[in-house]
Amino acid sequence: MRKIRLRINGDLYERDVRESKTLLHFLREDVGLTGTKEGCGAGECGACTVFMNGETVNSCLVLAVEADGADLQTIEGETAEDGSLSAVQQAFARHHAVQCGFCTPGMIMTVKDLLQRKPKPTREEVIHGIESNFCRCTGYQQIVEAVLDVTGQLPDSEKEGLKYV
Amino acid sequence: MLHDFAYAAPTAKDEVFSLLAEHGTAAAVLSGGTDLLVNIRSGIARPDYVINLKGVSELAELSFDAGQGLSIGACVTVTKLLADATVRQKYPLLVSAASQLATHQLRNRATIVGNIVTASPCGDMSSPLLCYGAEVELASASGTRTVALQEFITGVKKTVIRPEEIVQRIIVPTTYVGGSGNYLKLKRIKGHDLGVVSVAMLTYATKIRVAIGSAAPTPLLLSEFPIDASAKTIKQAARAAISPIDDVRCTKEYRAFMVEEFIERLLAEVHA
Amino acid sequence: MYETIPADELKTVGRKSPRVDAYEKLTGHAPYVSDMVVSGMLYAAVKQSPHARARIRSIDTSRARELPGVRAVVTGAELDYRVGLYVVDKGILARDEVRHFGEAVAAVAADTLMIAQQAVRLIEVDYELLDPVLHPLKALEKDAPLVHPRLGDYSYMEAAFTPVPGTNIANHTKIRKGDVEKAFAEAEWIIERQYTNPSVQHVPMETHVAIVRWQPNDEVTIWSSAQSPFTLRNLFCTAMKLPHRNVRVIVPYVGGGFGGKAGIGIEPLVAVLSRLSGGRAVKLTASREQEFSLLPCRSQLTYRIKTGVSADGRITGQHMTMYWDSGAYADYAVNVTRASAYSAAGPYEIPNAWVDAYTIYTNKPFGTAYRGFGHVEFHWGIERHMDLVAKVIGMDPVEFRRRNTLKAGCRSLTGELIRENTGSVDKCLDAVCASINYGSLTKQEKERQKRTGMKIGKGVACFHKAPAMPPFTATAVILKMNEDGTVTANLALTDYGQGSYTAIGQIIAERLGFAVEKVKVAFDCDTDREPYDWQTVASKGLILSGNAAILAAEDLLARAYDVASQALRCNQIDLAHDGEKIYVKHHPESAVTFRQMAVGFAYPNGNGIGGPLIGVGRYIAQGLSHLDKATGQGNPALDWTYGAHGMIVEVNEKTGEYNILKVGSAFDVGKVVNPDSVRGQAIGGMMQGLGTAVCEGYIYDEAGHLLNPSFTDNKIPTSVDMPLEIECMVVETAQIDGPYGARGVGEHPMIGVAAALGNCLQQATEAEITHMPMRFEDVWRAIQKREPVDNWITKSPYGSCKSSPQVQGHHPELGC
Repeated sequence: MRKIRLRINGDLYERDVRESKTLLHFLREDVGLTGTKEGCGAGECGACTVFMNGETVNSCLVLAVEADGADLQTIEGETAEDGSLSAVQQAFARHHAVQCGFCTPGMIMTVKDLLQRKPKPTREEVIHGIESNFCRCTGYQQIVEAVLDVTGQLPDSEKEGLKYV
Repeated sequence: MLHDFAYAAPTAKDEVFSLLAEHGTAAAVLSGGTDLLVNIRSGIARPDYVINLKGVSELAELSFDAGQGLSIGACVTVTKLLADATVRQKYPLLVSAASQLATHQLRNRATIVGNIVTASPCGDMSSPLLCYGAEVELASASGTRTVALQEFITGVKKTVIRPEEIVQRIIVPTTYVGGSGNYLKLKRIKGHDLGVVSVAMLTYATKIRVAIGSAAPTPLLLSEFPIDASAKTIKQAARAAISPIDDVRCTKEYRAFMVEEFIERLLAEVHA
Repeated sequence: MYETIPADELKTVGRKSPRVDAYEKLTGHAPYVSDMVVSGMLYAAVKQSPHARARIRSIDTSRARELPGVRAVVTGAELDYRVGLYVVDKGILARDEVRHFGEAVAAVAADTLMIAQQAVRLIEVDYELLDPVLHPLKALEKDAPLVHPRLGDYSYMEAAFTPVPGTNIANHTKIRKGDVEKAFAEAEWIIERQYTNPSVQHVPMETHVAIVRWQPNDEVTIWSSAQSPFTLRNLFCTAMKLPHRNVRVIVPYVGGGFGGKAGIGIEPLVAVLSRLSGGRAVKLTASREQEFSLLPCRSQLTYRIKTGVSADGRITGQHMTMYWDSGAYADYAVNVTRASAYSAAGPYEIPNAWVDAYTIYTNKPFGTAYRGFGHVEFHWGIERHMDLVAKVIGMDPVEFRRRNTLKAGCRSLTGELIRENTGSVDKCLDAVCASINYGSLTKQEKERQKRTGMKIGKGVACFHKAPAMPPFTATAVILKMNEDGTVTANLALTDYGQGSYTAIGQIIAERLGFAVEKVKVAFDCDTDREPYDWQTVASKGLILSGNAAILAAEDLLARAYDVASQALRCNQIDLAHDGEKIYVKHHPESAVTFRQMAVGFAYPNGNGIGGPLIGVGRYIAQGLSHLDKATGQGNPALDWTYGAHGMIVEVNEKTGEYNILKVGSAFDVGKVVNPDSVRGQAIGGMMQGLGTAVCEGYIYDEAGHLLNPSFTDNKIPTSVDMPLEIECMVVETAQIDGPYGARGVGEHPMIGVAAALGNCLQQATEAEITHMPMRFEDVWRAIQKREPVDNWITKSPYGSCKSSPQVQGHHPELGC
């Protein structure tokens, strides 16, 4: 066991943690922040994406002890203090960019990171920006539309979506 | 769930060396962790001791000097390499390959050195580094030694690293600075995937350098070609050098075919 | 249940409405079983077989039992239970013999997961290797080893299935319509081909996970990431011989299912571990790798089709043989076989038809339900076949389809009369042809070809599907009015992402005349609290539960009107209501609010009448029948949803690499309830279909080891794999007995996608691909007419892909 001190969503935590515990399991089991999900445990699916010192990481491939002294942000830190949704979350809601919801927390983290790096991404950049995160339900289209809408880039012609024939 | 192991995060190289001397093959070195933790989880690796190098600040250095060239410390992440203006300007082939390596999240953790140390035939950084004539600098309590990258990887997941050693940096000489190049890899989907087969090509002044991944037990560097070499010549050399296998990812037939296809495409870029 | 309400008079149904679960899911607050911890909970781990077929000589668990922290160790020898959905053929753990790679042979419950995993490593199993039977056609040979030598002793659902004891046939479904031999004799063309697809994984992002607490008094609570709480309870109680009242199944949020969580899975194993631990709760979370072999997959299919065509391009007769590779256990595969048999020809009229559909046991991970329930697999065959037949007879593939599509007045394979309101294949086909500008290249496309050097191909695929369910499938909805006049609906249809609860909420709001914000559809299905629902499968949820929701709303209103007529002292016929109150039509100021009546109306003096307002809606499928076992004739279909995909693909003719430029899809959904949900299902399903078309599939070696049980070598599509353009269209031919005319569309978007891709590749390059998936290498081989790869390891058709036989088009008069 080893003592670590870190900041998660602005709050300070100090915990004794097993050296072999991943950051993902630390967040979910030791801290109780279960919004971050495990989809594969092998860095392939992106469901466990969190911010660590301003960069996104797959928390399944980081040891908790490596996060000693780090500043983390998880999905639980995405909403405002009053519980209201962030602009990205609101756009996801508006566009039905959520189905089963299991990839959603990781996806939101990835999108947030993308928008920090590229405040006005093109469609192409959005598609490449979320490549790291598997979503088995939506087929990604409504997620892409949500991201474009957040930044006011969604063409009017695409806002209706379903076509009646 | 990972099995229990002891852990150290030394802040000086000497500490690393003494830990390695103490624990020998029971120790594993962690820099990015994107391979090590996957291997521990799957049971392929079962170290009793994990030594995190990230606390050793000099191993995180990425620097360039006109004499020695580019020095990529053991803990330099792929993202850090990609963001470096000097690298982007002087070593475009490294950028081409690094930007195709896994996902953004992985690139934020994975290290260039780790990609080489893993010694997978499909490691994305091996071929471009071979093209640039990179050398690997190993260090231990008894000093450092430098090995050409070709000699460093000796087989599938095998290198010349001794139990008491770490790779402290990769040195990419300036020999080919000013050259241009590109890296093509065959994937099973358009999204992130390992290279089912890959080719890196670097052209510099009067020379063409070609390296191939996933077509032999180790990444292969072909002998240098003159700048006006024909596709046929390069393809012939490639054909003679490779020994691809059939596996779940591809047949050897298609691997061999795509190596030649990629050579043609890369050469067409050179001539364009 | 269809009410002829013009679309512009509908206030909620058909309009945009946010998902009811958006906030919980977007904030990470939605609780999934994988997130849950129950007090005193232990963790389980499973010992899996490394062999496809072996006799278990002995299992030594002594070292595992001695490990501190281990609370229970169990092997198959101690478990005399058999579980099965339709054929009761499976132990909770392998007993005496393992039947597939990855099968569970022992399990441990311990204080921590790490201890449990350590204990599993200490279990030693002594196996005697046996020759596995891996290929379904080999399994049919006379001297083939039997996967289930005691098949004749198993109980099974006799009304629907026909196992053949002494063979590896778990079920044989027959459809006989007209006279096929006569039709062939009179046909101008007879074309016979064979099509194959491999097993694939569902890949829900949340792996299978269950927590079970089996108390010493035999009361059991199961928390499971499952689709069908009542079927889970029923199968569990049957296997464990427990009264249903003792068992409570709770399903909170579920991270995707796609059919893989439709029945019963790891729950019985977790339950016995709990019982052996003295009633401590036990949690088992499958790893991603275990999803591929411990848990079931989609069955492999080999589909042989022989078609007789008249000189004017009409199908006169068709002989269809399906070999469904069930793997080691029958699970849903027998019903996939049955459902596929009666839909086998796709949405075309076949006047003379003969179908033999076999479910075949082999020593591989077993098949289960997967979105489309067989239709994705056999539409790959039938819709590739339509293009290959069209090519042989020299007709445009779309024209050939148009001549044969099911239209009003046609009869299905089971003799069901197709009516105007059944829906329109033709309208869907027309829509997708327009979407992709079928038949010619636009100026831009021609320029693109020139620029890229790639060849552009366009193709279509049509499809149909009806829910595969017992003819008497039933459900119920309970609608409770809250103190403030809002309502809460309870139902045991689960919403694991499809958006069903959002749609049900809209239907209830519409029928009540309430704002949708006043309606809550409660998450967390609990068999102790929710009314019965059969299963959340088959795209039947919207129709059956939607109808039950309408009936519940009507029941609630009737009870409210009853109270209001007393409170307002008038006839019910004189009353009307809005979202707030019931009022007298001719004296609107005389009104009583729902809030006043919600839990019983109180007069000023304190006297009360009514009591809590609760509406109950029960719905059972109407007019469906079992199929005759000898002929397959009968009425199995609640509704048929028709649709089509059109696709534009560019292909590198030299390398086989291709890009999907556009997919246009159209579905006759009857009535759109929520446009964004329909679109979400449509695009999500299409992409899932593309995954199986492009890259997914199990690959085995000759010993039956699964070689690609993880995301490293079993890729699924990423965002970058989306077609460049997606167009999503709906036709609305109202379903008479659908809620507001709606019919199901959850599974359908996945069907036919692969065939559309194959048809594009053929159109562009002449490549005749008859196996899925279509990796670049497969396309390259097909273009080059090289020997196809069936399996990269074994060179034999155990795994991912099977070869394409030559076109067998011949002219009967020429005698060839």
